[in-house]
Amino acid sequence: MDVELHINNSTAPEVRFLTWSPSPCRIRVTNPSGANTPTVSVKIAGVSAASGGSVVFRSGTTGAFSSTVTLTVPVDGTSVSFFAAGKFGQASVNDGDIKIEARVGTTLVGSVPVMVRIRKDANDLTTGERDRFVAAFAKLNNQGLGRFADFRNMHVSVSLPQAHRAPGFLPWHRAYLLDLERELQAIDPSVALPYWRFDKPAPNIFTRDFLGESDAIGTVQFSNSNPLQFWKTDNTPGINRTPDFPTSQAPPGLSNEAQTLALGTQFRAFRGMEGDPHGLAHTSFGGSIQDPATAPKDPLFFLLHCNVDRLWAKWQRKNDRFDAAVAESFDERPTSRSGHRLNDTMWPWNGITSATDPTRPPTAPGGGMAASPAVGAPGPQPRVRDCLDYHGVTDAASDMGFDYDDVRF
Amino acid sequence: MATKRKIGKRASTRKQKAATAAPVQSPENINDVRSLLKVLRDGSKPIDVRMAALQSLGAAAFSVADFDSVHADYIAALREVSTDSHEQLRRRALGILMRNKDGYAQKKLLDGLKNSAKALVPPEKALQLLSYDVHAGAYSAARSILKKPPNDEAKREALRLLAADTKSTPLFEKVLRDKKELRVNRQIAASALHSLDPAKLQARARKILLDKSDYSDIKATSLTALEQFGDDGSLAKDKTLLQSVNRFKNSKISAKYKQTARRFLSKYGP
Repeated sequence: MDVELHINNSTAPEVRFLTWSPSPCRIRVTNPSGANTPTVSVKIAGVSAASGGSVVFRSGTTGAFSSTVTLTVPVDGTSVSFFAAGKFGQASVNDGDIKIEARVGTTLVGSVPVMVRIRKDANDLTTGERDRFVAAFAKLNNQGLGRFADFRNMHVSVSLPQAHRAPGFLPWHRAYLLDLERELQAIDPSVALPYWRFDKPAPNIFTRDFLGESDAIGTVQFSNSNPLQFWKTDNTPGINRTPDFPTSQAPPGLSNEAQTLALGTQFRAFRGMEGDPHGLAHTSFGGSIQDPATAPKDPLFFLLHCNVDRLWAKWQRKNDRFDAAVAESFDERPTSRSGHRLNDTMWPWNGITSATDPTRPPTAPGGGMAASPAVGAPGPQPRVRDCLDYHGVTDAASDMGFDYDDVRF
Repeated sequence: MATKRKIGKRASTRKQKAATAAPVQSPENINDVRSLLKVLRDGSKPIDVRMAALQSLGAAAFSVADFDSVHADYIAALREVSTDSHEQLRRRALGILMRNKDGYAQKKLLDGLKNSAKALVPPEKALQLLSYDVHAGAYSAARSILKKPPNDEAKREALRLLAADTKSTPLFEKVLRDKKELRVNRQIAASALHSLDPAKLQARARKILLDKSDYSDIKATSLTALEQFGDDGSLAKDKTLLQSVNRFKNSKISAKYKQTARRFLSKYGP
């Protein structure tokens, strides 16, 4: 007997990525030989490689998860649904380091490799995770000739009002990071964007093998094996970054995580974190990352913002702020600029330029939001509200396909 | 608490103290910004207080709602302190001005490269900052520096600045070929050549890997370039290259370079 396992409702290998959110799965019998009843009892379990991730299951949309699930599956090929999720705290390290196995009795009847792909603390990545991330990022940049140029051009002087100094700051950057991450995953699907936890020492990030070591004038140096040595933006190779603190320590003067999460239970208060710690993290350096118009020239920008987004995600979890219908989840103001109200689409993904709306920039680089093979959200032209329920707490269809290592579903 | 920073003209190590730390703050409104601009301009205040004010002003550029209404004042204040007696303040102000493509700062930096008596920052720093707004005047300054570099860092930064100059392709080929050249400069040349003439980089990287007398670090750079940006089909068929990479892997090189070679061979080898 053989069965077919669908992860995220597909058999395609590119969708076999899980987060902490329940992923819809299916199982069906494809070869009923040996069956002499209309249904069979199939036990589904995850088998982890050493140091690999771990998976949990449940049969329906509610209820507790457990390490196995047993389903009654018709032998006529009708599929039966179930749900799989990464076990919180046990993310994968490598693609396919977990196998989801289906057994009838002790007989293995089907198996698929999966990865619990989670955004992690960049300082704690394994060498393999770090090198894959760096290689994918360098490929996306392709020495200034690659798709990264669009991401650089989304965050320039003329576009700053689309994403800053207003309520849409956090949703816009969430969409921005996700768009970039999906492009990285198109190069290497095992990659997730890591975060720079700027309120703790992160000495492993500022090394020649990772995001580089700054010399006396702030030119970042890389090892000869690091593909970021070929990084180029605006036709100029290299990265300028001068830390104003020893990189064996955390930058001083920023609010730490506990202080940030204590900013208030309403989004209106919480979004003050745009200044501290977000703005102060940027200005803990001289160089590109210090200024809004040049910050994304430095790849560290994306790890900084990944932490900003993680802090928002953690605040949302702490205060149950995933539902856009709840006033405290956002700072909705009728007087806000376009792009900063819940039902607004966001530039550049909406393609709107100053040709039709004078409040928008002259161009809209990059086109629509990159699609994910595993999830449908947030769609090619995300609205602000689409970026709140990122892991599908209020509506499973809102799941954007990413999670943080220390933020539960 | 902000750290206090001391920068020398050619400091080989950066010294940082967390001694008399001036607090940084995230300004909440335009009045806060105006207060900070006053502190920045006030030469009687301790340097760490003024640097903290500058850091806070930078944060305001990200987050204060109507920052654009004081942007002109911010630029004016930066221009003023770009000639301050404290080098770290000059460097930081000039950096921000150049990232804002300020013509005043650009002229100051170029004047300093032409006449060292007018230099506000060392030549290598001036070249680095000019790379934020590259144009013909900067290219000509960089070429002059290359003819007679005052130090290694200035030569390096001149090469980086010229990386977008299509007329500099022969220069980068020469630098990459020259085994006597500093390796960091050969690394910059490899990077510059990829965007100016990718086929030339691929050809040169291959020659470097086949050359038994060339250095292991530039071989590692070449391998990385080929693996990341080379033509997969051609590389997989290039038996001579693969044999050279295998020899490289088995030679007395660092574990890191061995890993680079191993990765290349597992991707392209049989």
